[in-house]
Amino acid sequence: MLASATAGAGPREQARRIHERLAGVPPSEAVLTDMQADVAGNSATDAAYTAMENSNFYSVTLKNFAAPWTNEEQSVFVPLNDYTATVIGMVRDDVPFNTLLSANLVYVGTGAGVPAYSPTNNDNYQALEDQSADLKTRLSPTTQTAVSGLPDSGTAGVLTTRAAAEAFFVAGTNRAMFRFTMLNHLCRDMEQVLDTSRAPDRIRQDVSRSPGGDSRIFLNNCVGCHSGMDPLTQAFAYYTWDATQGRIQYTPGVVQPKYFNNDTTFPYGYRTPDDHWTNYWRAGQNALLGWDTQLPGAGTGAKSMGQELANSTAFARCQVEKVFRNVCLRSPVNGADRTQIDSMVGSFRSGGYRLKQVFAESAAYCMGD
Amino acid sequence: MNMQSRLKALLQASSLAIVASVLAACGGGAGTERLPPNDVDPPATYTGPPPQTADIQNFMNAFWPNVRNGGVARCAGCHGTTQNPMFAREDDVNLAWAAADQLVNRTDPGSSLIVQKMAEGHNCWLGSNNAAIQACATTLQTWVENWIAGTASGGTKTIQLIAPPNKDVGQSRNFPDDSAGFAATVYPLVTEYCAGCHNSSSATQQSPFFADDDVESAYAAVKTKINLDSPESSRLVLRLRDEFHNCWDNCPANAQEMEDAIRAYAQQIPVTAVDPALVISKALTMYDGTVASGGSRYEAGQIALWEFKEGSGTTAFDTSGVQPAINLTLSGDIAWVGGWGINIRSGRAQGSTTTSKKLHDLITPTGQYSIEAWAAPANVNQEEARIVTYSAGSTQRNFTLGQTLYSYDFFNRSSTSDENGAPLLQTLDEDEDAQATLQHVVMTYDPVAGRRIYVNGVYTEDPDPAAGGTLGDWDDTFALVLGNEPSGDGQWQGVLRLAAVHNRALTPEQVMQNYDAGVGEKFFLLFDVSAHTGTPQTYVLFEVSQFDSYSYLFNRPTFVSLDPDWTPSTPIPVRGLRIGANGVVVPISQAYRNLDTAVSVANGYVAGTGQVLSSLGTVMPLEKGPDQDEFFLTFDVFGSDTNVVTEPAPLTPPPPPDGDPVSDIGVKTFDEINATMATITGVSPSQPAVKATFALVRQQLPAVVDMNALLASHQVGIAQLAIEYCNALVEDNTLRTSLWGGTFNFGAPASTAFDTGPERDQIFVPLLTKAMGTGVASQPDEAAVRFELDNLTTDLASCGGSCATDRTETIVKAACAATIGSAVTLVQ
Repeated sequence: MLASATAGAGPREQARRIHERLAGVPPSEAVLTDMQADVAGNSATDAAYTAMENSNFYSVTLKNFAAPWTNEEQSVFVPLNDYTATVIGMVRDDVPFNTLLSANLVYVGTGAGVPAYSPTNNDNYQALEDQSADLKTRLSPTTQTAVSGLPDSGTAGVLTTRAAAEAFFVAGTNRAMFRFTMLNHLCRDMEQVLDTSRAPDRIRQDVSRSPGGDSRIFLNNCVGCHSGMDPLTQAFAYYTWDATQGRIQYTPGVVQPKYFNNDTTFPYGYRTPDDHWTNYWRAGQNALLGWDTQLPGAGTGAKSMGQELANSTAFARCQVEKVFRNVCLRSPVNGADRTQIDSMVGSFRSGGYRLKQVFAESAAYCMGD
Repeated sequence: MNMQSRLKALLQASSLAIVASVLAACGGGAGTERLPPNDVDPPATYTGPPPQTADIQNFMNAFWPNVRNGGVARCAGCHGTTQNPMFAREDDVNLAWAAADQLVNRTDPGSSLIVQKMAEGHNCWLGSNNAAIQACATTLQTWVENWIAGTASGGTKTIQLIAPPNKDVGQSRNFPDDSAGFAATVYPLVTEYCAGCHNSSSATQQSPFFADDDVESAYAAVKTKINLDSPESSRLVLRLRDEFHNCWDNCPANAQEMEDAIRAYAQQIPVTAVDPALVISKALTMYDGTVASGGSRYEAGQIALWEFKEGSGTTAFDTSGVQPAINLTLSGDIAWVGGWGINIRSGRAQGSTTTSKKLHDLITPTGQYSIEAWAAPANVNQEEARIVTYSAGSTQRNFTLGQTLYSYDFFNRSSTSDENGAPLLQTLDEDEDAQATLQHVVMTYDPVAGRRIYVNGVYTEDPDPAAGGTLGDWDDTFALVLGNEPSGDGQWQGVLRLAAVHNRALTPEQVMQNYDAGVGEKFFLLFDVSAHTGTPQTYVLFEVSQFDSYSYLFNRPTFVSLDPDWTPSTPIPVRGLRIGANGVVVPISQAYRNLDTAVSVANGYVAGTGQVLSSLGTVMPLEKGPDQDEFFLTFDVFGSDTNVVTEPAPLTPPPPPDGDPVSDIGVKTFDEINATMATITGVSPSQPAVKATFALVRQQLPAVVDMNALLASHQVGIAQLAIEYCNALVEDNTLRTSLWGGTFNFGAPASTAFDTGPERDQIFVPLLTKAMGTGVASQPDEAAVRFELDNLTTDLASCGGSCATDRTETIVKAACAATIGSAVTLVQ
């Protein structure tokens, strides 16, 4: 009963698919006709921009696109929060996405029945969720400094949102924030960046060098991730999640006690003195992540570390691949797909890191033929 | 010896110790408050001249009883009467001391002549095998240390650094630039069997990519996994042989195959001298260093000690020097660990009830005790696992140090507990005090403070649930066991590197002292760098110990000159320190490669003690063993000599091969389905009934786009939501008018409302137009969809004369739900 989805798709079919993929809902006749004309006129990306005018692109597609990044379980079934809202807002307003991990920016809900943003609860966003609010119109940008009280130097885009702090700064050692940022925004989990040849001089004291009495495990596995991860995670040395108050805590100049958890496990290890981070992965195999040569590769605090990550080729490629998967419903599988990815990474980086453009180009590429 | 005489011995030992400490006015250091209790007959029957000095008194108390007539070492048969040196003579303790004093090294008891003689196997009282001789030497050393400790002043010992032998770095095989040899030998094997994961284009890719499609990438990645000088020690081989990692059929055979391939490769590569461009130090093995361990533990109340130095055999000797020795018999799967220790995988190390009685006899009079262990739990999954226990089984005990998950357990039988030592004192589970790594664990008990647990020198602050009591109920028929209950139902798995029992509750300071003393042999290795400083006798000093069976710990590199008056006249730059082993710079774990400093007085160089270059420690892999592994240091910059190492740029992996074609379409997910239904019907998702139903079925709806993952349960959820939307639509006049206009008569009976095609079109056409669009060829065939809706409507309208009054609305709802709950809206 289903007609062929690929064979012989004309502009009208292609326009409808673009709309369905981007907005998640069928277009109205008028919109479809308008988009059809764009597609027929070899302006499929214009058609895509038309589809992205639909509120559901923001309220459904982008919300579910970002929601898994905001919790360790990577569940999409989580309420709207400041992390997700900020991603939606940045896409909507074409805010350069390479500031995602460093900007002093947060999008907050507005409108009737929505309480003001609070750094100690999620009520603002929960109200939007409860109202099934149109996220295209109900999100407004402000600074984290204004609403959370973090100093500008202590803000790091979505990393210092309340939702991210609750998920990744809670308890532990703050490595979760780094690991999930790598996973969500460089599309690499730790085993994919494992490089045992880096210097282990910044690995903290809590990492056993002989797990269960067997140092081979450390020398061949643990060291591969920790040697790069620990000096980068040092950027978060002043952050934690205050579970009592339900908010992010930032203590400039004072390293959080969690950095000294289990410090007798290997007392000869590194003891964190401050939030100075260094990217050891600029050398070795992880140089292939494409670090920005204009940046120094070291610094203090989460903001500059966020810039380091978000200006890498891997970050841009990861965003593009995530959008590609979201729109095309598959990962790139062949040379043509990879060429398209390369092309989109190029236009993403050179075109001001506008993610909407990537959505448009992906939708045009996958509109069927 | 009966109880009274033991008590007397103890009292005497204590009072003597107090006298000694007052006389010597000593403090700190190793054991100056009390001398260890000893179960050997005290010199009560000695009738010769009294000891003339405090040191002789300590000798008389701590050393002499063990060697004199009746002592466990049985030296007096020769060295008490006929054979010089007469350190075991009975007639005059002062003369015995004078003879013994010539045989001991007070700054390094382990190198004492008398200890060395025993280490050579000279009339060991425990037997003639190596393990027994080792235990005898250690015990003798303990006696010497106890004697000296009673008199020592000023705390810890001063280590005398000795210039090491002058050895150049040996020859070795090095990886050639060209990958051809690898490509012809090892590469075919890894690409055949390892490329499923260790390939950058694998769907389950796992770094390192030594089986990459691109041989150059693979070659770059494999270098840390191959040992050219010792193919059998290559990581590629060990992974198969010892760790059974994804063997392709038979692990030993596969490991051999891999080893053969590596050996074939290695044999193509000539042995060469170490890269002449390197700025290197002289070479050393660990045993070329100066022994740094021993003497700083607090052992004054120590009544049992197992250091596991034997390295072979089935007996772990109690080398506390306190008799009777509780020598443990190892049974089960227990392996000796390099650098001293036992690895208990199953089974136990058990003492006899006869010798274990020592614990009862020496602890019940003091009413207090401590259990001490350097332990590395194999995991944090084991529960009710016994590490050190003095018990009869799982229901009766005197004491137990155990592990349950992330907690340490402490049972103590007293007048306030039951016979199993309950209530249990357990460290708070959320503190996760027990970790699967080497830890120093001490449990102390005294009637006032109760039970206390220390981990790595720190009191865990877990309060004792029981009040303090006396130990008079202890049973002297129990056995001391490590790693299990005597009954075998408390298996603990892990590595024990030291265990001790004290008949005193160690103070927090004493616990910390023993933690700081560490465990195992430690050496000071002096790497000669005179060639780069231009000054003789200048060294980089490392503290080196065997960390476990597979690695060394290199700690705290310090630049030092053995000339106690020398200081650097100008700063000596030191940059990029790397450690080499067996002629090759070790590719991993180079914690000092970022070192960047200069040796100078301004930077802290102190004549005689030097300048610490880094306070860090790092573990380096063990290759051939501590007696063979030859280390050296290399530097990017040392003084005016330079060899800055530049890393080659990593190779870009080739693009992965094309994957199998995948579906171009998928299903909508939960929120998209909800939004789609809202869009088609015009019903707000906030409509209460719709919202409630969506909340109910949200997680029942598809969460992924893959069509193959769509299940019947998803369809049920979709149907529920569709019906709710259509119900809301039909029940709302405004909405239904908006969609269907005002011509369809919802109030007509079902039998007539749908009896003509145009009537049905009034419902179907707007619905399908909204849901499917028009003129969209990729959508289902409209005629076919209408055919299904027609049949549905006909069936539902066929209710004779018994149709409910709202039957027409129900049929519209059904047609609506069938449309928006179908593939028409589900597929994207």
